[in-house]
Amino acid sequence: MGSTSQFLFILEALVFLPIVLIHLTKKNTNAVWLYLIQSAAVSSLLLISSFDKISFLLLVSLGSTILVKIFVAPWFFFRLIKRHHLKFSASTQLNTPITLFVIAAILYLNQTVLSGAFATFSSSDPNLLLISSAGIFISLFILINRRGVLSQMLGILSLENCIVTFAIFAGLEQNPGLQFGIIFDILIWIIIANVFASMIYNHFGSLDVTEMKKLTE
Amino acid sequence: MYSFIPWLLQLLFIPAFAPLCIGLTRKIKAKFQNRQGASIWQPYLDLWKLFHKDEIISEDASWVFRFAPYLVFGVTLAIGASLPLLSTLTRLPTGDFLGIVYLIALGTFFLALSGVDTGGGFGGFGGSREMLVSSLTEGGLILSLFTLALIAKSTNLFSISAVMLAVPSFAIIPAVLAFISFCISMLAESSRYPFDNPATHLELTMIHEAMILEYSGKRLALMEWAAANKYLIFISLAVNLFYPAGLATTLGLGSLLIAFGALTIKVAVLCAGVATLESSIAKLRIFRLPDLLFTSFIISLIAISIIA
Repeated sequence: MGSTSQFLFILEALVFLPIVLIHLTKKNTNAVWLYLIQSAAVSSLLLISSFDKISFLLLVSLGSTILVKIFVAPWFFFRLIKRHHLKFSASTQLNTPITLFVIAAILYLNQTVLSGAFATFSSSDPNLLLISSAGIFISLFILINRRGVLSQMLGILSLENCIVTFAIFAGLEQNPGLQFGIIFDILIWIIIANVFASMIYNHFGSLDVTEMKKLTE
Repeated sequence: MYSFIPWLLQLLFIPAFAPLCIGLTRKIKAKFQNRQGASIWQPYLDLWKLFHKDEIISEDASWVFRFAPYLVFGVTLAIGASLPLLSTLTRLPTGDFLGIVYLIALGTFFLALSGVDTGGGFGGFGGSREMLVSSLTEGGLILSLFTLALIAKSTNLFSISAVMLAVPSFAIIPAVLAFISFCISMLAESSRYPFDNPATHLELTMIHEAMILEYSGKRLALMEWAAANKYLIFISLAVNLFYPAGLATTLGLGSLLIAFGALTIKVAVLCAGVATLESSIAKLRIFRLPDLLFTSFIISLIAISIIA
């Protein structure tokens, strides 16, 4: 039991730490690799969950998750980076130390405000739920802090990964059909977001959102 | 009750293996640069050579300049003997992490003072830069160790190692964050990339080498040896506090030998890691260093926020 709990915490660490590192990284390629690691950890959590429930449909849903999050999404992002030479994306609204300071503040508020609420969940360790919820808030902060469209897209996908993790630990998993629908939605979103990002780049010559001042043109 | 043999082994371990650690790091860096590089035993030969050379001391040098090498070297020996290197059972009263941090600060203070003492330009800016870097490093270093102290509910390094042997599940993420923060502090304190370039004597880049530029002969040997000791002290702290696998929990000969083997492997791996990092990044400008050190400080704060 102890080793299972420790394994869950290691997987949760692999979900949480990439979010902090996406805030720190200056290279778009590194951010995509970090998202890939995070997705692999989420898929492993889903695998453990499907073994617990002994469900074939859950395994099929897991297969589609792996296909979309580990293969399709990174492939689309790497293609976007290569096509538009988007190797570096150092632009953030706040500098690195202040960004980390905000993350520390989010974590502190998360731990103090939500720890009481999560103590009532009996299905899992409250610490796992707290880290998952912190991941949700820090992923939202990626959307606010990053200026590059690609980082913001990764922020949305990271947010989705953290919500999945939270649902697994809180015992709020839905039936396999619904999960399949969600992953199909994500696939469509990734394709549309990539096409949209390419159109933005062709029009404005940049994926930095602060450069897009003349939106009426 | 203190066991004498592990303590004696600890006292000898740091000065005996520190030059090898430097030699190994240099060798790996040379391989990255497609060079053959000097033998890993070269630092021992360099020390031997320096100990057999005459020394020249400036007329303007005071007792601080003459005394500092002994103090700086002595401090590294005292710290080396107070770390959980082989066993968690030695439990020395000097093993408190705050004591260790302030012993490191004492050595740094006298090192900077000796650089300034002779009145040379290089020593002056070296000392000034060293105090800037070390004062900013201290926050990140203390908080990263404090994270572990919160997990172990003790500030004694031996107790921390004992708790981290079976790391509690909730402590995995804070420990990883504290390790990242500690590694940044380690590179700063041991004068490695991206803070300092230990291989050059360029006016624009040097910090540690500028402070010891006036030294020669035996005192230079002591200063170089102390720098190597400090490097191994930080590496040993990193491996035995954050990943103390193999550390002896009994004082039998077999356990100590296993602990010695595990420590050697872990130290070699981290040396290879430092060499790889140094071969893949550029040195930062001096005015960019505070940003990185502040980052180390905040990463530790994040780790503490998770535990709190």
